Amino acid sequence: MPPAGIWIDGLVQSCIYMTMAFGMVLVFSILGILNWTHGQFYMLGGFVVYYAVTAAGIPFPLSLLISGAVVGGLGMLVEKVVIERLTSPGYGILSVTAATNALIFFFEGAAGMGFGLMNKGMATVLPGVLDMGSFGVSYQKIAVIVFTLIIMVAMYIVLNLTKVGKAIRATSQEPDAASLYGVSVKWVRVIIMGIGCALAAMAGGVIGIVQSVNPFMGRIPMIMSLLAVVIGGLGSLTGAIVGGIMLGLLNSVIAYSISYYSEVALFMLVIILLLIRPQGLFGAAPK
Amino acid sequence: MIIGRYYIDHKSVVPKIVIGALIALVAIFPLFTTNMVTLSIIILSGIWAIAVMGFLLILRTGQFSLGQAAFMAIGGYVSAILTVKMGMSYWPSFVAAGIISGVIAFIIGIVVLRAGGIYFSIITIAFGEIVRIVAMNWESVTQGASGILTHAPESLTVGNLEINFAASVVPYYYFMLLLVTVSALFYWQIDRTRIGGTFRSVAANPVLAEHLGINLMKHRLIAFTVAGLFTGLAGAYYVTFLSVMNPLIFDLWKSVQIMMMTIVGGMGSIVGGPIIGATLLYTLGIYLSRVPIPNIQYLVFGGVVVLLLLVLPKGTGLVDQWGKLWRRVFGEPEDFQMPGEEGMDEE
Repeated sequence: MPPAGIWIDGLVQSCIYMTMAFGMVLVFSILGILNWTHGQFYMLGGFVVYYAVTAAGIPFPLSLLISGAVVGGLGMLVEKVVIERLTSPGYGILSVTAATNALIFFFEGAAGMGFGLMNKGMATVLPGVLDMGSFGVSYQKIAVIVFTLIIMVAMYIVLNLTKVGKAIRATSQEPDAASLYGVSVKWVRVIIMGIGCALAAMAGGVIGIVQSVNPFMGRIPMIMSLLAVVIGGLGSLTGAIVGGIMLGLLNSVIAYSISYYSEVALFMLVIILLLIRPQGLFGAAPK
Repeated sequence: MIIGRYYIDHKSVVPKIVIGALIALVAIFPLFTTNMVTLSIIILSGIWAIAVMGFLLILRTGQFSLGQAAFMAIGGYVSAILTVKMGMSYWPSFVAAGIISGVIAFIIGIVVLRAGGIYFSIITIAFGEIVRIVAMNWESVTQGASGILTHAPESLTVGNLEINFAASVVPYYYFMLLLVTVSALFYWQIDRTRIGGTFRSVAANPVLAEHLGINLMKHRLIAFTVAGLFTGLAGAYYVTFLSVMNPLIFDLWKSVQIMMMTIVGGMGSIVGGPIIGATLLYTLGIYLSRVPIPNIQYLVFGGVVVLLLLVLPKGTGLVDQWGKLWRRVFGEPEDFQMPGEEGMDEE
């Protein structure tokens, strides 16, 4: 049995994967595409929080909100300029896949030019360790878990108790019927892309205090959250949460026993799962 | 997935003699310049074009694989390990690289092609990552991140002409042309005969195709295996030309680039599109990497690809514009209508 510290680290990773996978599923359920640039919005969010905290001296929770707003706005812009055109009838799914993949290079290049390639840490935010008897947990890791919980509760409220959330849920079920009832499907798409990207950005900002921020930090979480999405089942929000938690914990626990090959084991596990249950754990069976 | 509808065939617009002249120009190109840099750009673009054709062949069956670079890595590692570690001469190891890569594609295909669509893409990503991680950490065989240094292929003797690969880059150029020609002919033959039509029907409507008695799995597997074989050969040749193999040469981002080359080049022609896309994007990447500002190359590369996708008309690539350009410059043949154009304007 791995020590408790490993489980805590796994939980921290889970929080990140879960938030990102949640945003990805939201975008998928409305736009019908996978946003391959998700990891780069995560990276940009980390940078916004870093500069807000270190350069502007804004308190950490507030800078998280700022990063959500800034990167969410950027995501909306991307939806409006690129994705809306490339998902219009006549385009195949490949055009938008290639475009969002090209944006990966675009944003990484932009971040590398603008912010430099060095690792940037935010260790000064919330220093200190909580003593739990046999082991200690740093306040930063607790902050990651707490903020993720807050974000997820906020998402629950937005999706289930507000009018916007109702419009989003209606659009994801029946876009045509929703537009007949006065929902502007075009705007729901833009808003959902904003929310999805804001979630990724906040995940990046939250992890910035534990790990460091650099232009290429988005690549592995992107692949991991993609796997979390397919484990849970494309289009299932519960699935995204469960998949994210599973992946984060498994990754950390397997890495404890077999180090480098943990990712191989993890990928194998996902492949086997997909072959046994192609629609994922919580996905609807294919019609 | 809408793929099958936009194969616009412009072959009848551009005279065959123009294409023939272009090919002849490429064939005698080393007469004009033996500049190492220029020739290596063409050689490497040609190698990428082979991989892109493989991607497009798999795409013809409606699946898109994001693990094609992994097959190049397998081919590269097989040839590097056989020549450097086991002392085999290059040419048998080159053939072995293709065969092993094809066999691995076949085995992987049996397993992962059962999950179609986006799941297939994600599993192939996972497969590519597995290959990379294993190559990175299996130090006794692959020498980890530092990589394997390979040497030039042995000289070949054809008649009384000795082809010495160690002396200059020109033999590499002609072998690349041979490799591209052979694989292009193979892919083209598959694409234009009955089996290519079957591939398209599998992509366009799997349910109907299955009811017509087409074995979906079999055809997807054929495409995946053939693509794996040629991609492995391309990888083996790429590695010999660079004379080094390490896990970073063929990572996930190379698979992503293969996909971008396909889309930008155009899916209308299985040979023309990949060659145009691979040459343009690879050359763009090389010239950008000379710009002294760090990271601007990624920014411009990504930006150019997105712009091209936005500017090009619905779902077409550069190869589909080739005929349009020709008509604009040299006038329109009488009563010419592109096949399939009627239906496209309605949407």
